[in-house]
Amino acid sequence: MDIQFESIEGNSWTYRITLIVLAAFTVIGFLATLYVIDKGIWVTGMTNRIPWGVQIVMAVYYIGLSAGSLVISGLYGVFGKLEYKPFARIAVYIAMLFLIAGLLSILTDQGRMDRVFIQPFVHFNLQSMFSINPLLYSGHILICVIYLWALFTERKKTTKVVATLAFGWAFCVHSGTGAIFGFGARMLYESPLLPAAFVAAAMASGTALMIITIVVLFRITNRHVDDALILWLGRFLAIILLVVLYFLFMENAYRVYVVELREAALYYLFGGWHAILFWFGLIIIGCCIPMFILFRNKTGNSVRWVLIASIMVVFGILCERYVIVLPGLMHPPEMFPGMLVTGTGVPEGIAPYSLSVVEVLQALGVFGAIGFLFVWGLKAFKLLPNEAKALV
Amino acid sequence: MDRRDFIKTAGGAFLLASSGAYAFRVLTAPSAGWMDVDFTPSGRKWGMVIDMNKCREDCTACLQACREENNVAFVNDDRYDIHWIRKARLQYKEESENPGKSVILLCNHCDNPPCAQVCPVQATYKRHDGIVIVDHHRCIGCRYCMIACPYNARYFNMKESEEWPNKDFPKRSHGVAEACNLCAHRLDAGKMPACVEACARQGCGALYVGDLNDHSSEVSRLIAKSAVKRIRPDLGTEPKVYYIGL
Amino acid sequence: MKGKPLLSPADPGQARLIVIIAVLIFVPLGFSVVSQVSRNRAESPNDFLEKPDPKYEECVRETSYMRFHHWELLRGIREEVVRYGKRSDVGLTKCSECHTSRERFCDKCHNAASLTPDCFDCHYFPK
Ligand code: HEC
Ligand code: HEC
Ligand code: HEC
Repeated sequence: MDIQFESIEGNSWTYRITLIVLAAFTVIGFLATLYVIDKGIWVTGMTNRIPWGVQIVMAVYYIGLSAGSLVISGLYGVFGKLEYKPFARIAVYIAMLFLIAGLLSILTDQGRMDRVFIQPFVHFNLQSMFSINPLLYSGHILICVIYLWALFTERKKTTKVVATLAFGWAFCVHSGTGAIFGFGARMLYESPLLPAAFVAAAMASGTALMIITIVVLFRITNRHVDDALILWLGRFLAIILLVVLYFLFMENAYRVYVVELREAALYYLFGGWHAILFWFGLIIIGCCIPMFILFRNKTGNSVRWVLIASIMVVFGILCERYVIVLPGLMHPPEMFPGMLVTGTGVPEGIAPYSLSVVEVLQALGVFGAIGFLFVWGLKAFKLLPNEAKALV
Repeated sequence: MDRRDFIKTAGGAFLLASSGAYAFRVLTAPSAGWMDVDFTPSGRKWGMVIDMNKCREDCTACLQACREENNVAFVNDDRYDIHWIRKARLQYKEESENPGKSVILLCNHCDNPPCAQVCPVQATYKRHDGIVIVDHHRCIGCRYCMIACPYNARYFNMKESEEWPNKDFPKRSHGVAEACNLCAHRLDAGKMPACVEACARQGCGALYVGDLNDHSSEVSRLIAKSAVKRIRPDLGTEPKVYYIGL
Repeated sequence: MKGKPLLSPADPGQARLIVIIAVLIFVPLGFSVVSQVSRNRAESPNDFLEKPDPKYEECVRETSYMRFHHWELLRGIREEVVRYGKRSDVGLTKCSECHTSRERFCDKCHNAASLTPDCFDCHYFPK
């Protein structure tokens, strides 16, 4: 099988308008960030009780997408499935971009962005997950670049080595991200399962994203892709979704079962906005309906339905990130178990949180920036194959 | 050489030069080191004892004194106000008609501070004399310490306040985290923290700060002879703020 | 080099080398030219710096040391004070006892070098 990779022409008006729109997003996000630097973090809706918001949710989400896409490229690079070679380049490119997006989200969330480039490297703290993770992230970007280079120059042996390294590294990266929360001190974060659950969710969202990218991109650019390839990915996605559900169940079952966590767990499962996101966004739209679609013979064998399921999964995992990060912060740490604490000048009890415009604009800016790079990369690099055929 | 090649080469050289400059900046930054914790053993270990039996419920002298000494930001909005020391009312959840009792809350200066453990730049750290303190020159504002603290004792400078009562002590610009530093600057100068002095001036004398390692100090005696409690010692953080009559 | 011209722009390898060298030379040169042009005209700092009250004869260290190393001094003191609790009689706030104005002393130099230390967001120093 001989695959030719090519770049797209990029002369059409749709292409140009997409680029312009994405660039406009970037500019908006940049302006929003300047506003935050000037005024302080409070304009993004953060308070002393809710220190992390949408930017961190998006960072975790992007990093998950990145790790997941790398797994898809590993199908060819590590496991030698030749029929997935056509997608290897685009998968690694996406992995790299999303990691950059994650880092950008984290960067624009810092209170003192001017110090971020020096202090963490000079005063490294080996005990801090937040200090280890940037190392993993920058290593991940580096590996992606080498991987891309090996793929572009068609070096078979190097590809295999780098792909294996990248595969393992992606697991570490996402476990590390999970550990930021899982090893934390908040009642709803603390869980040794969380890194593993993060990896599962990452693989689900990454696979779903790759399905969407491949199907949409190939259709827009009039390329042929064999249905069998997509359908196989769909089944793969269904199995990962099972694992995701399993982890979700175990974690919440543990919390409801253990007496000291029960009150927090009930708050998590039934207490407010995020509960709606949890049940409808994550469980029903994100896991159950897609699994139903993918496991059912009739719909599971139709590319259109697999695409719909993938879109649901991508949305569902975004909800999962939200319900991991925010309820854990809204629920206060128990200083005096069984007691009611009032009158302190700080809002005690369940802390209120609502999305703010500025942080959504910032997130939009990050999305625009990497969307721009992605669309531009399609023209600048030879990322897309002329066609993708299944092995018979 | 065509235009593309030129851009590539020039860009590459520029990237190389700037990353070299960046590496130089990082390597020559002051006190570059993996773990720049001060290991010099010091005889002292500052701790605090709060006698809630002596504390008057309506008195907020210590809160006021702290604000005036340390320029703690106050913008009259409970989402952004910073309280290095605060007073809370505790009630049992079942009996809400019971007025409950008040308690003074502040940074516990844990012996195993979770905030210092997670700080990616070692801006928050435990000083050799046991005070958990923030180096505001280093803090990047990631707010991980606020998430790690189980006592809700850490705050973030969301908004800057205009007031600057004590010009000898810096105030904080927005974008850095902070918590009570047990008035380290006053302890170093041989004075007691502002809240302790204010409490003594009120005639209550409910707050004591002293050396826990020194067995003849007032705090050690109080801890030895009375029933003291700490807030959630079960978390393993080893808080160094002891309560009498909690 | 057998008859080969030292530089032949037609050869891509050599052209690349020229570009690299040019960037390495001209980028720093450009920076320094720009900073020279945007610099204050005065020859010696003494011409435009406000003198402290004559009753003070010396700065906290020798004047020549202060002129070129006061930032190192401040950083060192900062490290000692904030991290190790070794209080010192020199400090950022104490500069203002003699150098009463920031605008007429510190900022004169810093503007010329296009520096904007953020210290005074937190540390008190009269304008
Ligand atoms: C975010 C606020 C903030 C900024 C910005 C800041 N500092 Fe500080 N600085 C502090 C605090 C808080 C202390 C602690 C004082 C103490 O513990 O006595 C301090 C202490 C110091 C001290 C030792 C004590 C004193 O008062 O002299 C020095 C020296 C110092 N800073 C220098 C600097 C310099 C130089 C800069 C600018 C590069 C700077 N600081 C920027 C907040 C800040
Ligand atoms: C006791 C008073 C005093 C204090 C405190 C003081 N200075 Fe000075 N400083 C002087 C005097 C006097 C000179 C000499 C001026 C001259 O010779 O023109 C001087 C000169 C300087 C110069 C060199 C100016 C030049 O002509 O190039 C610098 C820079 C400087 N001081 C910085 C500082 C800084 C930073 C601090 C705070 C740590 C500080 N000074 C504290 C008295 C003081
Ligand atoms: C003679 C000119 C001159 C004067 C006067 C002067 N400075 Fe500076 N200062 C400099 C230069 C040049 C630097 C840049 C050092 C570097 O980072 O390479 C600097 C750097 C600094 C820094 C470090 C900035 C950073 O980003 O780390 C601080 C703090 C500082 N000066 C404080 C002061 C204070 C306070 C005064 C007034 C009392 C003062 N300086 C007066 C020339 C001057």
